[in-house]
Amino acid sequence: MITYARETTLLTWRGLRAITRVPERLLDVTIQPVVFILLFLYVFGAAIQVHGISYKDFLFPGIIAQSLAFGIMGTGTATANDMREGVVDRFRSMPVGRLSIISGQVMGQLCEQLLGLVITVVLGLILGWRPSFDLGHGLELFGLVALSMLAFTWMGVYVGMVVRSSDAVQGVGFIVIFPLTFMAGTFVPIAKMDLIPRTIGDWDPISAFVATLRKLTENYPSSGSWPLDHPELAMLIWSLVLLGLFVPLALRRFNKGLAS
Amino acid sequence: MNDLAIEATGLTKLFGDFKAVDNLDLQVPKGTVVSLLGPNGAGKTTTVRMLATLLRPDSGSAKVNGYDVVREAGAVRRTTSLTGQFAALDPNLTCRENLTLIARLRGMDRATASARADTLLERFDATEFASRLIKQVSGGERRRVDLAASLIEQPELLVLDEPTTGLDPRSRQVVWTTVRELVAEGITLLLTTQYLEEADALADRIVLIDHGREIAAGTPAELKAQVGEQRIDVIAADTPAFEQLSKALADQGFETTLMPELRRISVAAPNEVLDLTRVSQAVAATGIAIDEIALRRPTLDDAFIALTGHAAESTDNQADDQAKELVA
Repeated sequence: MITYARETTLLTWRGLRAITRVPERLLDVTIQPVVFILLFLYVFGAAIQVHGISYKDFLFPGIIAQSLAFGIMGTGTATANDMREGVVDRFRSMPVGRLSIISGQVMGQLCEQLLGLVITVVLGLILGWRPSFDLGHGLELFGLVALSMLAFTWMGVYVGMVVRSSDAVQGVGFIVIFPLTFMAGTFVPIAKMDLIPRTIGDWDPISAFVATLRKLTENYPSSGSWPLDHPELAMLIWSLVLLGLFVPLALRRFNKGLAS
Repeated sequence: MNDLAIEATGLTKLFGDFKAVDNLDLQVPKGTVVSLLGPNGAGKTTTVRMLATLLRPDSGSAKVNGYDVVREAGAVRRTTSLTGQFAALDPNLTCRENLTLIARLRGMDRATASARADTLLERFDATEFASRLIKQVSGGERRRVDLAASLIEQPELLVLDEPTTGLDPRSRQVVWTTVRELVAEGITLLLTTQYLEEADALADRIVLIDHGREIAAGTPAELKAQVGEQRIDVIAADTPAFEQLSKALADQGFETTLMPELRRISVAAPNEVLDLTRVSQAVAATGIAIDEIALRRPTLDDAFIALTGHAAESTDNQADDQAKELVA
């Protein structure tokens, strides 16, 4: 256990060091939310009316949930690149725990995503977003966001190992994750969508995340399906399901074809 | 305890239908240097990756330093260092940071790790560029740091996968010198290479492989005796000249090997310079135009032709690429 913690810390440090050496990498986690904020706040926003809430307050929780989901792509890209470098092979041929190697990867990516999240929130506050919550809801928010980031990071690490090319991660992300973030009620209410996107949106995991953030920061309710009526519980369940699925998948993939 | 550092029996690895390594036996006695020699795609990298516990064999078994590579992988990893074909270092860390990270992962405290990194940087003449990022140093410099990384803790067995492929002559010399020093210190070494010259210079024993199978094995002297010592290459000026000349030389009783695509006629030269004179005179007598005539040492190609009757086929590292693909 002490060895595991020690190895994971050392390997996490390795990942964090890369941020200072390749600061461009942070652009991935910051430029996307910034573009979406500016685009939706000032280009589309003026024409969008959401009942009972200012569009700015409607938009920011959505953007934050979307950035969380985009973390899958960021992590996937970074992992795909990292696995191509021989250095992971060196760690694997050394007496270092397999779990430590992959945990270091996850922790490093998690920190990078966290930094992106902080930048997005700060930008939101500068542009006039005023979230309000009490201590209890603040802790709930922190816990759920941390858990979902962890789940998305493991998912991204798995995807990065499976596709093995950062371009492929971007491609898959654009086809799957990108539309899902749009149908999740991020920019417009799900209730006003057409039947097909509305049905997808009602059950889209990202919808539960958007609804949770909107409820906890703006006290703005969502409804239309069980997950939207109970967003915090749905977000918790989705995060645990993703973790339960992608942690073993990633570990298995990492060990595939290898001796024990 | 036996005295073999590597003892592999019937080692086999399949990638789909492709047999990358096919029933390979390999013995490396402790304290010796054995070279796996073969062209790209021969199965060299797949073999060393199985021995370094990075790939699980489909059948057969291997013991490294007395430990089974599948059942006792942890012990194999503790006693073996692998230097892969591509530098196994983090490009975004400095040379020094890479070494201290590996030292700390091997359990050293900060001060010990730092001291060990300094010692190795000095040994590999890398102090000058120690604080530069790996991605900013040259291929030869990276290779030196890579070797240093494999020696953070003196392993019982060091596996070097094509340590000089793509290196400039000077870096190649540094690698060769290091290998000789390590051998003098009593380390066991398994070295893969595409260069007969390199295997000849460094190894006590050479195992020639192709398509994952052993083609021949023996000491460099034994293999060279089979391959023939030196050869004379005659490059004809054009294709008609190549055809006329190859016929003329064969008619005069010279033992020739033909490479039509290169317009090259290779003549065995057991008597070296004496044979060069004879061949030159024979060529001059025919009056056929040639571009070049030269005496040279045998290459991997010659070895393959002599031992298998066909030229070494490069499969563009297909097996190695697949090996990388599958461990992801």
